[in-house]
Amino acid sequence: MTKDSLRKFYVWFTVLGLLVGGLVVLGYYRDEDREWKDYQRKYAQEEIRRASNPQQRALAERIPIQIRQILLPDLNRVDRCTTCHLAVDDPSYGGYPQPLAYHPLHEQHPVEKFGCTVCHRGQGRATTAADAHGNVPHWDDAMLPLKYIQASCGKCHQAADNPGAPELARGQQVFEESGCRGCHKLAGVGGLIGPELDKVGARRSPGWLKEHFLSPGTVTPGSGMPPQKFSEPDLDAITLFMLSQVGETTPGYYASMKVIPGVAAGQRLFQEKGCIGCHSIAGKGGTIGPALDDVGSRRSPEWMMQHFREPQAVTSGTVMPKFGFTEEEARALTDFLVHLHEQNVASSLPSAMNPVERGHEVYRNYGCAGCHGPEGKGGVPNPNAKTAQLVPDLIHVADGYTNDELKERILKGQREITPLDPNRPQPPLYMPAWGGIIKDAQVDDLVAYLMSLKPKGEESGF
Amino acid sequence: MNPIAPDKHVSRRGFFELTLGWIAAMFAVCASAVGAVRFLVPNVLFEPSLVFKAGKPEDFPDGSVTFLEEERVFLVRQGNTFRCLSAICTHLGCTVNRTGQGYHCPCHGSVFDDQGGVKSGPAPRALEWFLVTLSKDSRLLVDKNQRVNSDKYLVL
Amino acid sequence: MKEFLPKRIWQWFERTRVGRSIFRVGLPQSNLERAQAMVSSFLLHMQPAKVNRHSLRASYSFGLGLISLYLFLILTFTGVLLMFYYVPSTDHAYNVMKDLQFVVSAGLIMRNMHRWAAHLMVIFVLLHMCRVFYTGAYKRPREFNWVLGVGLFLLTLGLSFTGYLLPWDQLAYWAITVGTNIAAYAPYIGPELKYVMLGGNAVGQEALIRFYALHVIVLPAIAGFLIAVHIWRVRKDGGLSRPDEAGDTVQQVELSQLPTSKTYGLMELARGTTPQVGRNPEDEVFAWPHLIFRELLLFLLVVAAVLFLAVFWNAPLEELANPVHPPNPAKAPWYFLGLQELVSYSAFWGGVVVPGVLVLALVLLPYLDHNRKGVGRWFARDRVVANTIFTVCLVIAIVLTIIGTLFRGPNWSWQEPWKKPPAVTESH
Repeated sequence: MTKDSLRKFYVWFTVLGLLVGGLVVLGYYRDEDREWKDYQRKYAQEEIRRASNPQQRALAERIPIQIRQILLPDLNRVDRCTTCHLAVDDPSYGGYPQPLAYHPLHEQHPVEKFGCTVCHRGQGRATTAADAHGNVPHWDDAMLPLKYIQASCGKCHQAADNPGAPELARGQQVFEESGCRGCHKLAGVGGLIGPELDKVGARRSPGWLKEHFLSPGTVTPGSGMPPQKFSEPDLDAITLFMLSQVGETTPGYYASMKVIPGVAAGQRLFQEKGCIGCHSIAGKGGTIGPALDDVGSRRSPEWMMQHFREPQAVTSGTVMPKFGFTEEEARALTDFLVHLHEQNVASSLPSAMNPVERGHEVYRNYGCAGCHGPEGKGGVPNPNAKTAQLVPDLIHVADGYTNDELKERILKGQREITPLDPNRPQPPLYMPAWGGIIKDAQVDDLVAYLMSLKPKGEESGF
Repeated sequence: MNPIAPDKHVSRRGFFELTLGWIAAMFAVCASAVGAVRFLVPNVLFEPSLVFKAGKPEDFPDGSVTFLEEERVFLVRQGNTFRCLSAICTHLGCTVNRTGQGYHCPCHGSVFDDQGGVKSGPAPRALEWFLVTLSKDSRLLVDKNQRVNSDKYLVL
Repeated sequence: MKEFLPKRIWQWFERTRVGRSIFRVGLPQSNLERAQAMVSSFLLHMQPAKVNRHSLRASYSFGLGLISLYLFLILTFTGVLLMFYYVPSTDHAYNVMKDLQFVVSAGLIMRNMHRWAAHLMVIFVLLHMCRVFYTGAYKRPREFNWVLGVGLFLLTLGLSFTGYLLPWDQLAYWAITVGTNIAAYAPYIGPELKYVMLGGNAVGQEALIRFYALHVIVLPAIAGFLIAVHIWRVRKDGGLSRPDEAGDTVQQVELSQLPTSKTYGLMELARGTTPQVGRNPEDEVFAWPHLIFRELLLFLLVVAAVLFLAVFWNAPLEELANPVHPPNPAKAPWYFLGLQELVSYSAFWGGVVVPGVLVLALVLLPYLDHNRKGVGRWFARDRVVANTIFTVCLVIAIVLTIIGTLFRGPNWSWQEPWKKPPAVTESH
């Protein structure tokens, strides 16, 4: 090899050798330069600053700079949030700015047992703020805004019974009252016109949900869902309730939260205080006050608590006396009644009611109001339907149907809705077949209720 | 072709380039090797932490010896003192059982007294005691990295 | 002037007993030793002791085959390291990707290197094939080495495709779903092939473990073996193709005709045109150092390029695989997008006839092409028909791939990449 080509080779060899070496060093540097290390150094400095004696100072100086993680095998999660949020379990950091704030619910929900993402969501495995908080491309589960944090309580607690989550209970109430079940299935009960909602909270962001309620067609072109006229608080509440539907059940230790310790005490109180004298459960008891089998679905825990404290203030003119329950006793009774609802939700409706009253319950529980309006008054748009582009009201069914015909219509539904203009798209809303979903006896009650809707004194038009 | 003359006369520039080139190449190779090894050293562990919170002091009744399954330790409370005893036999690493006032290893029959000392069997050393402190949120904090004598208590 | 220090240390080491036991020939000082260095080393003996000057010209081969080999080595190195963390389970695979990014030292760079090197390997193997075609290098006596090369090209695609699934994200899941469904268009065996490949009817845990086994052991083992044979055949078939070689008559040297008094251990007593037989010695140089040093430089260049990509650009990782919510459009890996584009016109022609005929034509090419002229020159006039056919096919393939990659939006409708895609009607 000539000297010249040898030199050329060595020049190239040197340049490329330096290039590879330099890139390896650059790669190292970029790999070692991690955001969380800054937070840990600041925490260590703060600990050193706060040390009041040499022993504490020595401890503070030994704080290792390393990734912290909480292993939650039961929840199938690994949360590394504490890599930056280093003081979540240290009450002396109460009121500190993030990322060094103490978690105010740490006593009830110790971070080493619960982690963070099971409630706050976000990306537990991530170690940069942006990735962990989840507002990054290709991560669906961004952190829940604090406004909606109560949506997570339902994973372990019953929606309706948790005094810490009134928004969740309110959301459920709005959901049931608005008749969403008429089109949407939730926990296996509801219609098939719209999609199932069991996992909607895992798929959709709060912004999407809110916009969707107000103007479904804008967010989902071609959606047949009528726009909802929620008040601002109701909109937030039902958004929160939707966000709570993530199709996730918590196992073992976490699920045990659903067993309410107050139930047994509540039942004892219920018997001791003689509530049964006026109220009935499963058909047993007095009829002076309303039956209580499904009170949990009708009333929020807050309402019940208030009702026990001051019956008159909540229901004016009630004959129910003020018993002077302690706060604890009221809590236990509330728990008991809520639990009662959970056991009876789809089964026995109180026989103390007459068929029309029971039918009204059915009308509400299965979301008929979602399309036919509250009390069957109608008014919900169904574009291109021959019936004035509206879902028909039900006030006058008594004129057009016999009991059997109406029952048949409810059980079999009506898939094809006659269009106003055959050239335009089919009307999006239709009558689902409720056979097999609503029990036969309940359908009879429902028919009785619907037949009773005809305004008093109005003559038959036919 | 010309036979290659022995490189008797490498110029100063060639010498510099040659040395630097080899140093750079060697550096690149070594740095890559270090990187590969560093890649294999875990930064996080997917096993129970060696430092863990055992719970609130009041969770453990006076005079109790509680076995914590996942961490394989016994938490011992006497009056207002707390200690933590390893449940791993010093012989060959089996988990010992609580029997009467002492501990018994089911694998090879070592017997330990209530202070972890060997009473009989093949175990070479007493069971280990770990440091127990109180965490900032008032929970018993066990550090399995730090071994202590059996007479070191956390007193509340 | 003294020898510089590392060389002196090396020379001392190779004279010790240990050194001599490891390196049969030391750093070569004479021409004999230069030849011995090549022949007596396991790693170097696949290459000839002397090479033609023409073969060293970068403007002839562009080192494309070597680059492909180096990429394969980088992929093996990073791949083995990644295997220490990877778990082929639908529950864990995606989490491993996240852990590589967030907690493993150099984890992201390792994955980036593997990903980019894999894409580069597909490209460079294809370029290498184009080079061999345009220089007519597949002709006698190198026909079979071309066939091996086609096999290696298909293996490269297979390796890339099986690796594509392993991160278990949306990109992986749907690319493999689409890709295996293209395979299912093949008549008779297509559906069965897909069924066996996936271990079921849809991509799931079974498919993941199958792809994993193929990706980390079966395909690399076959590819490694074929690469060794491929390189060895380059030497045995007379080195790289050269322009003046076409006229040479290929000599079969009979061993019995050689004088028995000589040892031919170092000689190239093989069929075909060898550096030693029938060649002008003035055109030959010793592989050590001329070839070996160039190979070393090229290796450094390839490593630098892959590192550069890996340091500055991250490998894609989308959401966790979700069989319920396919992206619109769901696309196969980019190198199959030409096929996917064809399939969108006609499943039978695009999915079966075109790829089948193409592969068959590539395999049979050296046996169908009877024109013996134009070896060793780029775009030789004598080969204008073959070159035109190949170029037309190549351009069509590239254009289809570009269309499939960049110009196909939701519902596989035409979509200029510089325009925002229209709102998609979402079905519930």
